[in-house]
Amino acid sequence: MSLAQNRPKTEAATAGMEAAAQDRAWEPLIVAFCCNWCSYAGGDLAGTSRMQYPSNIKVIRVPCSSRMNPLFILRAFQRGADGVLVAGCHPGDCHYSTGNYLVRRRLSAFKRLIEFAGLEPERFEVRWISSSEGDKFSEVMREMTAAIKALGPNGKLRDGRWRKIT
Amino acid sequence: MAENNVDYSAKIRGVVAQDLLSGRIDLLLGWEKGHYWWQSRPLFARDQADLERLAWDSFCAVNLSRYLVDELKENKKVGVLLKGCDARALNRLVQDNMVPRERVIAYGLPCPGMLNYAALLEAAAGRKPDGIAEENGQVTVRGGGVELTVPRDRVLLDKCRHCLYPNPVHCDQLLLTPVGERQAPERFSAVQERESLSSDARFAYWEKQLERCLRCYACRQACPYCSCRECFVEQEQPRWLSKASQPSENFMFHLIRAYHGAGRCIDCGECQRACPVGIPLQELNRKLIKDINELYGHYEAGLDPGQEPPLLTYRPDDPAAFSEK
Repeated sequence: MSLAQNRPKTEAATAGMEAAAQDRAWEPLIVAFCCNWCSYAGGDLAGTSRMQYPSNIKVIRVPCSSRMNPLFILRAFQRGADGVLVAGCHPGDCHYSTGNYLVRRRLSAFKRLIEFAGLEPERFEVRWISSSEGDKFSEVMREMTAAIKALGPNGKLRDGRWRKIT
Repeated sequence: MAENNVDYSAKIRGVVAQDLLSGRIDLLLGWEKGHYWWQSRPLFARDQADLERLAWDSFCAVNLSRYLVDELKENKKVGVLLKGCDARALNRLVQDNMVPRERVIAYGLPCPGMLNYAALLEAAAGRKPDGIAEENGQVTVRGGGVELTVPRDRVLLDKCRHCLYPNPVHCDQLLLTPVGERQAPERFSAVQERESLSSDARFAYWEKQLERCLRCYACRQACPYCSCRECFVEQEQPRWLSKASQPSENFMFHLIRAYHGAGRCIDCGECQRACPVGIPLQELNRKLIKDINELYGHYEAGLDPGQEPPLLTYRPDDPAAFSEK
């Protein structure tokens, strides 16, 4: 690290940086938990087919949508996510036969619970995307990003120590 | 204490003494009087001397089923006194394989509802009450040389106001005469009131409620569905919650605590009663009960141990709370 970087910033420089930060448009952070067998492969297909979807989506691969522990979802919101998406195989197509049937009940209950706690319904979504639906994958991601952009940054359930809301 | 409670205590003592002294059970879980007249705490009776302290009055709110999980580690067979809600709590634990039913002898006590000391204080209108008497659905509060009589309904614990099953289900022996059926009270009105608010107003409400949380975990300790050997709040790897009192961590704890009871909560209200700072925890539990009933059919947890809880099963044509297109 050079000395110049260590030097305290002048007031003018700080003001300039703040102005620059304000100019920079806020971009939402969306965490998408995708099931290994369908939705993640759907994302792969979207990629290999050169379909466009926003870079706001950060994909995390899970072995099955029923791997979703609600703690994962709350943790994502705590640590800076503005929206969380869970994507899995269509009901009936689960690699493990019944995983997504079970998670449909669990996440339905959980979605309503976090909405009851005050989270906007758009911030947590569940979608079924098969491995052949690359177009649906990119469409869902675009829709979700647009919805979260319209809502603005999420401050609810956010851990104050983790990331400041801009 | 009221005369009839003394009679009842003697009657209960007579029955359980036979079983305890003959060795049919190694331990009896009951209640004894606590430090104050308005407290009845759990009693762990092993012999005649312990049994002398057994009490049954209008302050025996503590759920004894919860103690079975620990007590069955050291005792072969345990007898337990159960009110209506406690009996459903026992079914909950049996269904979760936390308690082997054949090692428990359940003595049922039909329950008229337990009294709330805070409400009695209010009824005493500023005086410090030093005792009560009960008769025909009326409670007479004595204190400062004055006696004030109020209807029993007014000084009930919150958790007893919405009780649908005052008579114990699936007990081995019913010790007292069953109390009459209750009218179905509307228990979801507070939840509906919250639901009608906007997201932001709901968040503000819960933020205000949960900011009081000390994270003492009394709600978890009192709860019959929180019977995990290792709770997520104490898990080291991964570490879900830190020790700091942070609004987001309070949310995380309470949402997940309630969610772990989804389709399993018997709505006994012990969590809310145990809470030292008065967080309306039952609202979270009831929200889940209400939604699961709406989406996946009516289910009353703890009534029938043979019936599968709704979140452990599915139907291919289930509805969802999210868009499935």
